Amino acid sequence: MPRTMRVVSLITLFVLSALGVASAQDEPGWAKGRPKANDEAMKMAPVPSFPVPVPADQLPVKKFKLPPGFKVEVWASGVLDARGLRQGEKGNIFVSTIFVANKVYVIPEAGKHEPKTIIDNTPLATGIEFHKGSLYLATNTKIMRYDNVEANLDKLGEPTVIYDKLPGGTDHSWKYLRIRGDKLYYAVGAPCNICDPGEWAKIFSMNLDGSNVETIASGVRNTVGFDFDPKTGHLWFTDNGRDWFSEELPNDELNVVTQPGKQHFGYPFCHQGNIPDPEFGWGKSCNDFQKPAALLGPHAGSLGLKFYTGKMFPAKYQGAMFIALHGPWNRTKKYNGVYVAWPDGKGGAKVEPFMTGFVENNTYLGRPADFLVMKDGSLLVSDDHAHAIYRITYTGK
Amino acid sequence: MKGLAGLALFTATLLALALPAGAQQAKPRGGKPASPAPAENPYPQRFATLCAACHGANGRTDMPGMPVLAGQHMFYAITQLFLFREGRRSNEAMTAIAKGMSDADMQGFANFIATLPPVPAPPPPTPTDAARMKKGAELAKQHKCIFCHGADFAGGQQVPRIAGQREDYLQMSLRGFKAGQRPGYTMAMGEALSQVTPEELDTLAYYAARFPGAVAAEGKAAAEGK
Repeated sequence: MPRTMRVVSLITLFVLSALGVASAQDEPGWAKGRPKANDEAMKMAPVPSFPVPVPADQLPVKKFKLPPGFKVEVWASGVLDARGLRQGEKGNIFVSTIFVANKVYVIPEAGKHEPKTIIDNTPLATGIEFHKGSLYLATNTKIMRYDNVEANLDKLGEPTVIYDKLPGGTDHSWKYLRIRGDKLYYAVGAPCNICDPGEWAKIFSMNLDGSNVETIASGVRNTVGFDFDPKTGHLWFTDNGRDWFSEELPNDELNVVTQPGKQHFGYPFCHQGNIPDPEFGWGKSCNDFQKPAALLGPHAGSLGLKFYTGKMFPAKYQGAMFIALHGPWNRTKKYNGVYVAWPDGKGGAKVEPFMTGFVENNTYLGRPADFLVMKDGSLLVSDDHAHAIYRITYTGK
Repeated sequence: MKGLAGLALFTATLLALALPAGAQQAKPRGGKPASPAPAENPYPQRFATLCAACHGANGRTDMPGMPVLAGQHMFYAITQLFLFREGRRSNEAMTAIAKGMSDADMQGFANFIATLPPVPAPPPPTPTDAARMKKGAELAKQHKCIFCHGADFAGGQQVPRIAGQREDYLQMSLRGFKAGQRPGYTMAMGEALSQVTPEELDTLAYYAARFPGAVAAEGKAAAEGK
């Protein structure tokens, strides 16, 4: 996972310093498994985004490459840390943030697309969903609901906390939300790069009031992108593979849940369906775990996932899902982009690049994070590195 | 006396910030000037008015605890202004100063700070403790300081220059990171220090402040004037 910042738990640090403890086993979760003797690996650090947005006229849209007939434009600029995208019933677009801004914005669909902060001073205000007039927000510690938001954009008021038992911490603790059939879906990632995750590393569902938490999938290291196939109802999700195994392995996974609550996707025992973990894989077989539907590339940082439900794009894209590859930080050669995947009907999927050109001289100009399908069928893509939102349309020309 | 003088200075700097700030709000980074003649960059003058009293006109002063800005990088400078502006990094004076800054202001000040060449540290009042320096070098190697800050401790991008930084400021910063009281723009420092003892922190501060070669190298850069 490209933790744009290496985020070690402040709480952990507090406890450690209070106890005066400092030994090898206290190393931060992300560092577990890092080859300490390798200088190249030890130099790698998450790629911080700049705290000032790239001006609209300098955004890299002209460098983006798309299939013939597609166009991309800047839909909103100056959206510091733009991460998750969801839309209200009245057309308002909600934008969450992750490491820099600590905010949630609203951008009205009509007008100049200027972001307005509606929630502030909230670290890891990352997981958002809109449902029946309410905005759901999940941080690393709790899930909240703001009712009747579109009528109260000037002052949202106090939220109702529906769940406050999330484990907090910082490794893989930021959230992604979907609501389907009056159930809220979320995940709690592994609290480390590679470790025994205990009761975590799972996708869960709960009732909308926070009750009745159920396990949907186990052995999921860190998913921050999932959506339901409108045809089958199956939950598809991206999963970020472990760090520090090697430059080229393992791949991030694209997975599909076909038996909710019964499938284990391998972490920490098996990676990408066929590589036993060098530490946790002993005595296990990769065949005991659910195989991925497709591989998404080494350390790809696969984030947002959205099935295309619009009508604007050609028939080929109906039923396909878009996947945001944020791009690796712990790999020497950088790559990223918007990818598209088609379920093959047999539990697998075909994956192709869709929009690339975010990398220049091995440096990120932008990093895609999440999607929104607009009512006219165009596709919004958030970029939490250049701090912008792009709009993709199909014109056929 | 010191407190009063500080307050007066502080008030003066706030006023200095308030006056010219409005004029800059609308000018985006890299935006084309409206008139054929580009407006003069106001930030050297604003730095002189607003920042120099504490940080020094050349980015270095003898004021206790006052960080050296000379030789600092644009990306690092802007992250710190951002953390002050957003109320995350706490320092009464800096929080108040950064509060009114637009993005363009932060960019302007950070750009100007990055033009200040490194200034050599004055000779230390006491002879350098060779054994402590040796220990500092070992610790810097052991805890991989050089991987981000560079073999010359000059930093780069979001990583600050620490060679020749004031020892008291380094000590305060390291202790703050270790205790989780000083937020970084990234969490790199909190993590990097997770295996370092408090005593070792002070040795690292001692070593970086007197970094071997820093004076010579920085003196050369300063002599070249860029």
